[in-house]
Formats: sequence, structure tokens, C-alpha cells
Amino acid sequence: MKKLLALLLCTAMTAFMLTGCGDGAQDAKSPAEAVSREDGDRTTFTVGFDAEFPPYGYMDDNGEYVGFDLSLAQEVCDRNGWELVKQPINWDTKDMELSSGAIDCIWNGFTINGREDSYTWSVPYVDNSQVFVVAADAGIASQADLAGKVVAVQADSSALAALNNEENTALTESFASLNQFADYNTAFMDLEAGAVDAVAMDIGVANYQMESREAGKFVILDEYLSTEQYGVGFLLGNESLRDQVQNTLFEMVEDGTFAKIAEEWGLSDVVCLTADAE
Amino acid sequence: MDVITMLKQLAEGMIVTGQIFFLTLLFSLPLGLIIAFGRMSKNGLIRTVSKIYISIMRGTPLMLQLIVVYFAPYYVFGVRFGSGYRMVAVILGFVLNYAAYFAEIYRAGIQAIPVGQHEAAQVLGFSKGQTFFRIILPQVIKRILPPVTNEVITLVKDTSLAFVLTVAEMFTLAKQIAAAQTTVIPLMVAGLFYYIFNLLVAFVMELIEKKLGYYR
Amino acid sequence: MNLLEINHMKKSFGDLEVIRDFSLSVREGEVVSIIGPSGSGKSTILRCATLLEQMDDGDLIYMGEYAAKSVNGKSVYMGKGVLKKIRSYFGLVFQNFNLFPHYNVLKNIMDAPVTVGKVPKEEAKERALKLLDQLGLSEKGQAYPYQLSGGQQQRVSIARALALQPKILFFDEPTSALDPELTGEVLRVIKELAAQKMTMIIVTHEMQFAKELSDRIIFMENGVVVQEGTPDEVFHSENERIREFIGKIEAVY
Repeated sequence: MKKLLALLLCTAMTAFMLTGCGDGAQDAKSPAEAVSREDGDRTTFTVGFDAEFPPYGYMDDNGEYVGFDLSLAQEVCDRNGWELVKQPINWDTKDMELSSGAIDCIWNGFTINGREDSYTWSVPYVDNSQVFVVAADAGIASQADLAGKVVAVQADSSALAALNNEENTALTESFASLNQFADYNTAFMDLEAGAVDAVAMDIGVANYQMESREAGKFVILDEYLSTEQYGVGFLLGNESLRDQVQNTLFEMVEDGTFAKIAEEWGLSDVVCLTADAE
Repeated sequence: MDVITMLKQLAEGMIVTGQIFFLTLLFSLPLGLIIAFGRMSKNGLIRTVSKIYISIMRGTPLMLQLIVVYFAPYYVFGVRFGSGYRMVAVILGFVLNYAAYFAEIYRAGIQAIPVGQHEAAQVLGFSKGQTFFRIILPQVIKRILPPVTNEVITLVKDTSLAFVLTVAEMFTLAKQIAAAQTTVIPLMVAGLFYYIFNLLVAFVMELIEKKLGYYR
Repeated sequence: MNLLEINHMKKSFGDLEVIRDFSLSVREGEVVSIIGPSGSGKSTILRCATLLEQMDDGDLIYMGEYAAKSVNGKSVYMGKGVLKKIRSYFGLVFQNFNLFPHYNVLKNIMDAPVTVGKVPKEEAKERALKLLDQLGLSEKGQAYPYQLSGGQQQRVSIARALALQPKILFFDEPTSALDPELTGEVLRVIKELAAQKMTMIIVTHEMQFAKELSDRIIFMENGVVVQEGTPDEVFHSENERIREFIGKIEAVY
């Protein structure tokens, strides 16, 4: 009886997942079309972002959601006469948020590499690398020194994707363990407490985290885990909205607004969008 | 960021936490009673459906249920919804889940009332509704107060699960502030808030228990 | 006219035939006692007569009005409205009192007249206070059931039944749950009611009491009436089983 019940449950769940996935793939075009049809009279632009991801998107001292990406999005909206809706999302459910139409795009230090076919991408605007942050006094100077150490990485992050990449199998297997955490703050607390030996993360985020903590306490390993780029991710097939946002970004590059915003956020070194890309 | 600003921001989250808490109780307590009736129904179909409902709600994580409620309109019915549905989904998810727990508490309470109470009321000529609301329910409420208190206290802490749908309740905000300021103070403040909230809940429930202590 | 008439009542629980063929007519002012060993079906008769159970076959008639009628070997019960009216003709006193613990004594007595009988509150209260006075409980109006002794609780439950001014009152072993020293106060109340010509049907183990009080005694065993008659006739019966039963009971008390 129990076995039968278990079997029934499994069947039901599989069926649900299959139809769920199937629908997603089939509908990928039609909702996008629905969206593009609306674009003519679009009044709002909803950006989904992880509000725990400074400096790209986070909560500032006044409780406002700010960040480099949000400033860019604000400028894009201003130029198109849209109202910007800043929607914090749970990073684990970002795809569901996007395909269900709760958000128009994911714009949040969103790594293109490895996700090329899953979204309709803007051109890359930030060149970002994945690095290891370690305690300065830990005696870890290279990736080889990480053998037998505990390494932490954010769940479902680019750093995790890079570590799981075939090229890095040997490196990942040399770790004592690879812990997944929910947010960077916890990870740094673990690093400070010695619970983990290294944190794998985006270089921009690493710099921000290190600046706001005691100087000289942490260092970034010179050997990078991977080099990658950020873009704005739209629902697969939603080219019309992508093009509109992207063209506005190019305008901003041409008149210097883009560079100005990057400077405001201290990201001038990593931005990579130039008028040539057009 | 100074502590005052931080508290001010967390206070906004507390209001949302309070909304989730009160709205959940407001709807799940009566819904639980209806499900309890279904669970005890003479109709086999209604009884089985209620049983399966309770089994699923108690047997799967609340966090998963919140995600399902929020995304089901799109994935199951293909309806694209706006972001305003977020809070509705949270309340709906909490109500559906807690009603299942309350239903079982009601059922235990109702079945614990001696059959003689029903019979005495029937012989005196009370209708079924009068019997239930005048004679049975008041006694049930007194009996189920301790397990209900447990559930209510759990609910206070469970409101933090709303973070999966990034509804700006206190725990979601505390995590965001903690990330931006790279400090754990907001999390400590959040913990203190939940503790004080629960002290209040325990105090109120104790008052009610005392009030109903006039008979045995 | 008979206040109550039961014709050929039959009742089974599953395969167990609890009542095989039971008939009874009760006139106004009569006191009838039903005695017999446990499992003889006495309580089931009361439960069927008070509509707590439905009989399988037979007629149940109060004041000439059918509550149930035997049609093709099956009891057919009347509609809700008729049964509601018929319920107002009788009262039942339970073995375990079944008072409402969350109501005080006064409310226990007043609640049914007010909510069911639509008696104005003031009148119901007056009636309840008078009953409490009669039953020697005038001090206890504000007390809750748990604060009373078993004998007092049983007297309150009698008052609760009387408050609806029934034509006929059933007692289901009214002293069985009481300590022996408390049975006296309850029996005294029932005797007073008999003196006031209240029509009563009493299932009891109190032989002496049944003998003194009853106009008629019914001895039952295994779902059938073994003997029915005046106390004298039953207590001096030639029937082996009755003599044995009465002997045993009297030896105990």
C-alpha cells in the first residue's frame, strides 16, 4: 500500500515537472511575443535583482535599493519614459520570476558565461572575474595551496558554475570540502571566524566586501578562477525589449553617461561597454 | 548607517511581519474548522479529500508551498501575474498551510468532547448548529488552547519564510541590510524582535487561558 | 389517551439483537420502572424512546402523534419539524448528568427554554430559580458543575429537564454514577415528582425504590419482557430468573 502511494506520488511529481518544463519551452516564444506587443505602450520596466549583492544592487543607508545596475536601469527608464520598478528577487527562483512575467529582466551582475542559451542577452557591459578571497595571514598564496582547505561559494552563483566546470575539476577535488552559502555576508563571517579558508566570488563583490572590512585582513589570490562578463538577461525570445534597452545603453556610452555612472560606483576598471560594440 | 536608521527600516519590516501574522490567523483559524468538518464528514469523498489535503500540507516544506502558490498561476494555468501577487501568495500559502494544522487540532478537540454533551443538547431540543456553537465549540476552544499557542508561536517565526518570495518582511530586510552594511546587528535585532513578539503572544494566550479557567 | 405508546420495537446493533419485541403504553401520571440485568436492553429502550437511537422496526407515538411508524417491517421517522415538536414532550435524565461544564447552574437550566423554547429570559430565570428552590439548590445558582457533588449535579440535571415542562420524564439509571450516600437525595427528588403526579419512566437498579414508587414494573432479559405487572406481582413472581435477579440485587444493597 505504502509502495503504491510512493509510486503514485513520484509519477504525479514527474508528470508535473515534465509538463512544467515542456510548457516553459513551448511558451517561451508566445509570452515573449505578448510582451513585445505591449512594448509600444510600456509604462513600467521591472528589474529583478538580488538585494544582497552590493555594489550592483543592494539596500543603502536610507533603506533605498541602489547599485550600479540600478543606476543604469534608472537612466534607461528615464530616457524611454518608463517607470523603473526595482523588484528584489530570491536568486534561487529568478528563472521562474522571469518566465512568469513578474519581472522584465534580470539586471544584477548577471554572468553571461555558461548561460548563453538560457536568456536573450544584452551585450556584455562588465568584465568580471571569479577569484578566491582568503585571510591575509592564512599562508595561502596560490590555488595549489587550497588543497585540503574548506572553500565556500554562493549557491547557484557564477563562482560555483566555474568550480564545477570540467577545466577546474582537479582544483575542486583538491578541496577538503566545498560549502554553499546563501549570502556573502555570512560567507565573510565564516572566513573571519576561520570556519572556511577561502571564498570563491566575483571580483567586484570581493573588492566591495574587503573595503568595508578591516584593511589588510583579506587578500585576493593572483590566480583567477575564471574570467567572465556581465550582461542584462531577458526572457528567451524577447529581442524587442532587449534591443530597446541595449540601444539606450549605447546612447549612454556615447554621451559619457555610462562612464560617469561607472565612476560613481568605483567600477571604471571593470566596465567593458564601448561604442565599438555596436 | 546608525542604529536608529536601521531600526526605522526594520520597523517597516515588522509591520509587514505583523500583517502576515494577523492575516494568516484571521483566515486560517476559520478555514481550519471547515477542513476539520470535512475530515470528520460522513461523506467518504469529502473525508478522503480533506485527509489528502492535510497530509500534503503537513508533509511538504512550507517554503516549497509558498513557491508553488506564487508560481502556480503561471506554470499551471499560464496566467502571467504582476508583482503585486507576491504578498497575496505569501498570505495564501501561510493560510493554506496553517489551516491544515489547525484542522487537526480542532478535530482532536472536537472528538475529545464526551458524546453525552451532544446527547444532552439533542434531548433538550438544540439544533445541530446550536449544539456546536453554544455547547461544543466553547469547550473545544478551552481544550485546544495549548496546542494552538504552540502553532501561533511557530507562525511568528515562520513569517520569516516569506523571504523566498522577497516580500519585505523583517527578516528579508534584516538580511538585505546585513549584506549592504556587512554587519550582523540587523540579524540580532531581528532575533530580538521575534523573541519579544513571542513573549507577547505567550502572554496573551495565557490571559485567554486564565479567562477560560473559570470551569473545568 | 396514552402519553406514550411503543408498539413492537425492534433494534439490533450489527448481528446483536438488543430488543426483540417491546411494547409499552404509559398513561398520564403513571410511574413505570424497567429493571433487569445489564445487557437486557433497558437503556436501549430509553435511547430509542428519546430519539437518541433510531429503532429498526416499531411505532413510537407521543400524545397520539407519530414520531415513527412501522411500514413494511421498518420504522419510518417523521420529518425534522415533527421530531422537534415531539422532543418538547419529554425530558431525559442521564446516568452521567451531562451538565454543560462551561455554564453555571442557572444557565444550564435556562439555556434550553430561552434558545429552544423561546421563553423570555426573565420568565425562564424565574422558572429556574423556582426549580432550584424546590430541589434544595437555591444557593447554587451561580456555581459551576465542577463545584457541585454528584448528587447536586444530578439534581441540577433534573431541574434542567423539568425547565422545559415536559409531559413525561425518562431516567436512565439516575443513581448509578453516585456514591451510595448521595443516592438518597436524588431518589427523594424523584419521589416528590411522583407525588406531584409527574409521568416517569425509570431504568434503575434500586429495587426497593422501584418497589415503593412504581405503579408498574417491567422485568427485561435478553431483549424481551419477562414479566410486567404491579410491584407486588413482579417481586413475588414464580419466575426463576426474576427471583434470582431480585435476590442478588437485594443481597448487594
